[in-house]
Amino acid sequence: MKEFELEPGEHVVLQVRKHWLLFIASFLPYAILAIIPFVIPNVLTLAPPMAAYAAFFDYTTPIMRAALGVWLLVVWTSAWGSFTRYFLNVWVLTNQRIVNIKQRRYFSREVSGLFLSRVQDVTTDVTGVLYSLIGIGDIKVQTAGEEQEFVMRGIPRPEQMRDVILRYVSVGPKAPGV
Amino acid sequence: MPDQPLQPFSPPTALLAYLPSGFSIGIVITWVLYVVFAFWAVYTIVAIYHWLKYSHASWVAFPAIAVHLIVSFALISYALSGQAFFLSNYLP
Repeated sequence: MKEFELEPGEHVVLQVRKHWLLFIASFLPYAILAIIPFVIPNVLTLAPPMAAYAAFFDYTTPIMRAALGVWLLVVWTSAWGSFTRYFLNVWVLTNQRIVNIKQRRYFSREVSGLFLSRVQDVTTDVTGVLYSLIGIGDIKVQTAGEEQEFVMRGIPRPEQMRDVILRYVSVGPKAPGV
Repeated sequence: MPDQPLQPFSPPTALLAYLPSGFSIGIVITWVLYVVFAFWAVYTIVAIYHWLKYSHASWVAFPAIAVHLIVSFALISYALSGQAFFLSNYLP
């Protein structure tokens, strides 16, 4: 990690990202966009007045093949960019602090840290049938006073994560503020 | 308002008639491809920069970059020549 240096005696306990199902869900629009060129000719043939236009989508011609290739390249690159941003958003829990790394978009990155000695409360929020069944939820880490609070949404097994945080809150060394 | 039968619209190729003299469909497609591939190259460089700067220690970084480049080159090859290599079975 280049974003922050570990203090002497500090080690990374775990790293958490959004649940992979939420990532797959964010991929759906790209999957739909990718199949549109293959679906359009079939849909056009279903509507008799438009059926003649299905012939335009003949991907054996160089122009249409190039168009299809470009379309798929743009969709694929966008989807891969989505995966990149998913992967670069991460919570890092060390035995001394929580580091929240937000990659909103390219060249927009926020890294903030919160020492466990300042944590007052850790709250989990699992809402909805699907989230309850799969085990996806939010974690809110609150500190005393007007300090910032950390919220991470859509992480897997939030209760376990909360327990791990609280375990290190209770045993961690007293550290100065961020 | 009297009912009108559905009028067929002009196919996209009819737009080629409006191209200025000296321009051919081949030139237009070539430049469109140049622009798309240039955009792809810039976007890919930016994303790889982020991978290498922020996730270089992760085992996911290099496979993710490699998969992106391999799939992209197959699609570029398909667009230019129709040869899609390992994607041939999935493309018309």
